[in-house]
Amino acid sequence: MSVTVELTYEMSKALGARRFEVEGAATVGDVVRATRERFGERAADFERLTRLAAVAVNGVLVTHRRGLRTAVADGDRVMFVQASAGG
Amino acid sequence: MIRGYAGRVLDVDLAGRTFAFRPLDEETARLYLGGKGYGTRLLYDMTPAGIDPLGPANPLIFATGPLNGSVAPQSNRFAVVCKSPLTGGIGNAACGGSFAYGLKRAGVDVLVIRNQSASPVRLEIDGDRSQVAFIDASDLWGRGTGETQAVLGRKKHHAVIGPAGEHLVLFAGIVSDERIAARTGVGAVMGSKRLKAVTAGGSRKLEMDDPQAFKDYTKRLGAMFRRHPVLGDRLKRVGTSGIVSTTNPRNILPTRNFKYGHHPDALNVSGEYMADHALTGVKSSCIHCPVTCGRDVEIDGAGRVKGPEYETVALLGTNLDLPDLKRVSEWNHLADDLGMDTISLGAVIGFAMELREEGLFDAGVRFGDPSGVTDLVKDIAYRRGAGADLADGVRRMSEKYGGRRFAMHVKGLELSAYDPRGSYAQGVEYATSNRGGCHVQGASMYMESTGPLTIDPHSLRLKADLPVVMQNLACAINAMVLCIFTTYGMLPRFIHELSPHSRRHRALTAIVEHSGPLLRLVSGAKLAPLLWYEKWLTSITGERFTSGRLQEIGARIFNLERMYNLREGLTAADDTLPDRLLHEPTFPGMTSGHPLHLLLPRYYALRGWDRAGVPTSRTLKRLQVRV
Repeated sequence: MSVTVELTYEMSKALGARRFEVEGAATVGDVVRATRERFGERAADFERLTRLAAVAVNGVLVTHRRGLRTAVADGDRVMFVQASAGG
Repeated sequence: MIRGYAGRVLDVDLAGRTFAFRPLDEETARLYLGGKGYGTRLLYDMTPAGIDPLGPANPLIFATGPLNGSVAPQSNRFAVVCKSPLTGGIGNAACGGSFAYGLKRAGVDVLVIRNQSASPVRLEIDGDRSQVAFIDASDLWGRGTGETQAVLGRKKHHAVIGPAGEHLVLFAGIVSDERIAARTGVGAVMGSKRLKAVTAGGSRKLEMDDPQAFKDYTKRLGAMFRRHPVLGDRLKRVGTSGIVSTTNPRNILPTRNFKYGHHPDALNVSGEYMADHALTGVKSSCIHCPVTCGRDVEIDGAGRVKGPEYETVALLGTNLDLPDLKRVSEWNHLADDLGMDTISLGAVIGFAMELREEGLFDAGVRFGDPSGVTDLVKDIAYRRGAGADLADGVRRMSEKYGGRRFAMHVKGLELSAYDPRGSYAQGVEYATSNRGGCHVQGASMYMESTGPLTIDPHSLRLKADLPVVMQNLACAINAMVLCIFTTYGMLPRFIHELSPHSRRHRALTAIVEHSGPLLRLVSGAKLAPLLWYEKWLTSITGERFTSGRLQEIGARIFNLERMYNLREGLTAADDTLPDRLLHEPTFPGMTSGHPLHLLLPRYYALRGWDRAGVPTSRTLKRLQVRV
């Protein structure tokens, strides 16, 4: 099972990639952990860049579902969301 | 005269080349403030139903408000009001730049342009001598908005049209400096009058009731705005295009004529990308604005120019499947210079691209391919070839060539860049907006989808209540006349600094989602000035303003606009969304599109309208709306 992770612009800059695939994740929490692992020793960067970021699965914020326990399915798109952009 | 107003309405007859200064009506100013409020009242009273929007009977009204001419942040705007040639209903647009300042310095609150000139003309208003010069503009006719203003003098304050207005493109706008009163075709109305430009100036100063209180409060508020996460930080750093970073992951960024809400390469037109790759500087294009949301970019052949805003990168970028910042910047600059609304422009080109896919019409452009777009933009402005059809907007195109299912407009006005299938309150707002599919007649999406709160956009809670309060507030803001961005300050800093996953954030969100009655109670309170709007108005005019009074003024303006539209033949059937948004799901689990039918009855009830969407006589009496 594979989900696509899309990062915010700042996270992309730090990691050098806009998106990547995560295999075997069952929940959003698994995906977030896999993303943190990609930051390796730059865990502090990950914490700084995601402190105010929400997470959406296929466009729906997980805060409206089961948070980090929200299940993910094959082919889902998990995206970090820049909060508070204006409008 | 109430303080804050110059006290004069300038009435210009282009056919007779005459003018007269008349006193501003104080009662109308008390009821409708100014800007689009005063302008709508004038339009309703001056014209019968059924006039030709591009005929001599349609007046073009420029209106300032009591805050214009002060140093209140973001108070540099003017409103334009007329019957819209694009929608056939109420037309209005607001604009930054410096023309509002020039009008107020000339001692003019409202400028009414009547009839049509036989040949190209421009006006110079000398407020100090109370004179208006009618000057032949044949030498300017055909020139772009940038060149026209350069010829007229950069140090003066102008409102001008470009070739699109001259050729009666139904979504042509009126430009001041680098800003544009873009929506509903106000530039076409100016073009129909063969009025190329208006220049205004003088040395009148704004008289305030309590200048010290105004100064002290504005100083404190300015400091608060500078510390605010959106007004003082994010908009300064990445401008409005930074919104892409929120709308794309939330699946509400128009992509391929609103077929989708997400584009995999959307970050290429984000404000962050612009800051890293294209930004050549930041400047505030509007006077008295501390936010400086304007971006400058470098483009081939034109040098440093105003960069595209969020609506433009969405409608001319992802909506065309062309998230290419360089090209979007070029088309944005071209559209500004030709004097066109980039929202309607992007929407009508996107519609033409889908018409081609469906085999219904070929304008020579297709999704994901930039070839032909530049020429098409020019052809639209000059009404050449296929451009002549596109110049009439999406609704007329769909009536002529088909494709009504994916014709993305409301009441004839093309939709702005928030897909309401992921923002239900915004959908209600689009459907009920008097000028059509527009996001700045309320901006519910900020409270619902693009701001720091994370209320569930797919729940029905609050989705009929929020638009009423936000639309009323927006009407009042557009009557003062202020920038809608001032509303961002309503959500204080601490909310922006909460993690979306924290308990406090979730608790706050739950409270807000269940706050319908509280929202109406607080916003309707008439106890004391609450926000900056009321405090500014109180210190300037000397009259007592409260949030409740502002809501009442906003509701009065909204209902008068509604009555104007009903008089023009619009009905509840026009309070709808495009079929695509009502019937095509974009989110997993959605079985249909936006649930407008579940929300509209409650919205009508909250408005005090009957089931046919008509304001009841009781509502009109309560709001003192004379019809």
